[in-house]
Amino acid sequence: MKKFVIRRALTGILTIIIVFALNFVIIQMAPGDPITTLMGKENNSPEMRAALEEKYGLDKPLPMQLVSYLQTAMKGDLGTSIIYNRPVSEMIGEKVGATVLLGLTAALLAAVIGTIMGIFAARRQGGAYDAVSSGVSYAFNSMPAFWLGLMLIILFSSILGWFPSYGMTDNRASYTGMAYVADVLKHMFLPVLTLTLVLIPQYFRIAKSSVLQTSNEDFITTLRATGMSEKKIFNKYIFRNAILPTITIFGISMAYLITGVTLIEIVFAWPGMGRLMMTAITQRDYPTLMGIYLIMSISVAVVMLIVDIVYAMLDPRIRYE
Amino acid sequence: MKKISIKKIWKTIVGDKQLLAGVIGLIVLLILALAAPVFATEDPYHFGKDMLVGLGENGHILGTNHMGQDVYSMIIYGIRTSLRVAVISALISGALGVLIGGVGGFFGGKVDTFVSELINVFMMLPSFFLILLIVAMFGNSITNVMIVIGITTWPSNAKLMRAQALSLRERVFVKSARAMGETKRQILFKYIIPNGIFPVIANTTMGMSNAILTEAGLSFLGLGDPGIISWGQMIYTGKQYITSAWWISAFAGVAIVITVLVFYLLGDGLNHVLDPKYSKKRG
Repeated sequence: MKKFVIRRALTGILTIIIVFALNFVIIQMAPGDPITTLMGKENNSPEMRAALEEKYGLDKPLPMQLVSYLQTAMKGDLGTSIIYNRPVSEMIGEKVGATVLLGLTAALLAAVIGTIMGIFAARRQGGAYDAVSSGVSYAFNSMPAFWLGLMLIILFSSILGWFPSYGMTDNRASYTGMAYVADVLKHMFLPVLTLTLVLIPQYFRIAKSSVLQTSNEDFITTLRATGMSEKKIFNKYIFRNAILPTITIFGISMAYLITGVTLIEIVFAWPGMGRLMMTAITQRDYPTLMGIYLIMSISVAVVMLIVDIVYAMLDPRIRYE
Repeated sequence: MKKISIKKIWKTIVGDKQLLAGVIGLIVLLILALAAPVFATEDPYHFGKDMLVGLGENGHILGTNHMGQDVYSMIIYGIRTSLRVAVISALISGALGVLIGGVGGFFGGKVDTFVSELINVFMMLPSFFLILLIVAMFGNSITNVMIVIGITTWPSNAKLMRAQALSLRERVFVKSARAMGETKRQILFKYIIPNGIFPVIANTTMGMSNAILTEAGLSFLGLGDPGIISWGQMIYTGKQYITSAWWISAFAGVAIVITVLVFYLLGDGLNHVLDPKYSKKRG
């Protein structure tokens, strides 16, 4: 177990170093010199140029530059936004809570609902419920999340007028306490619904196929032969073994989830990292854009690492591969 | 290699529901893309005087956008963009994956350790943001988009190819080729890759779906190629008119769903057909 954790942690650290290196390479290769990229095209201040050159050691050879880039980044300095003239890490810090709230709620809902649906489909394999739910999951899997969000706005906001389509709170009212929570929940409904719907198919598929696979294993046949009741076999043996892959999917889908959340935030004007990214794109604010990429890659790597370790704790087979 | 007759291919396609649906869908899409001028009612690049016209008005089947372009014709021409993005980026990703994975699995040892660690690392990276970053900095031409999608999505292909190469390496025909004095490069290209490529083909087909979705996502962020017609861009521009002219975004999204679905079905179908375990279960 210890060896497994160390090996996975090393891969995680390697990933983070490669992310930084990739970022570095992109700055180097991008059209124009790196300082102009970091300063913005309209900015001609020679003092700032000198300061940036000093900070990233740009007068030194390339490998040394990479080292000094890594050193600055490890200190938590992700550069300064050229539009707002504020540290990128600070700007991201303000927005990350809203993104996590949205993403985590949807991921948990999708994992629970998708897994339950998948188990039911597997139990009634070949039946009408299986056919319909498999078909629907195919369709939602093919849907761009941002488009689904727009369609839900048409239905629930424009036509029915049930839920707000914009922002995290009502700007005209300043609620406090429970009323504030209720307001946020109301604003959260549509974005969370959209994300949950596009995330469900993954969990549905994995739950369905792993229940089917486990049901076909020899030890289940043996249990059947002993005359144990179907219900007991399912609850005690199939369910426990079939639920494991869901945990892996939770980790693997992190990257997909983060992409989905960002795009969804833009649709619903949710004040998170996605919005920040969109403004950074339109204003060509490269330091902010790169900072967001770094933070997202690192968080995905960390979450996947944790998921892997949890999985190894639950399933001993993984540790001794 | 086994002889493959047309009759056998036909039988396989008809035998698998998903594959059949995928193949039919793909043929329809190809016909629509190739004969787009025949099916389109208007030149999609033509800015007409009917702006934001609703469904069926003035002969515009699916209405027009804010520039007076015919939405139905834009959707028909959009197939070309989506298919181009799907095929080219998937080919790049497939070729890279086959080469990297093949080399790792076949050569083994330190090379393989390096390759599999590289695959692990790249599987962990959220590729969409890398693509986004590169496209934002290097320019958003459709060529850039296709290349970047291709070079960031190879790891899953490499993983499959590596596993294939690992097992093929131990097979008798590969060992005898080595005994006959064929070079490692010859063995890799003559025996390992041709015999191990099938799971990669199925996976690449799935990758086409993801490429289409990625392009749509980039366009939705305003990073699409302004010189071409793409469904993602239609959704992006339609977003501003979502309450007044919903048809601009709605139908482009439907087109994406259908096209992506076709490639998913194809990929799933190919997986079933190529996986001997699956056909045994059914037979």
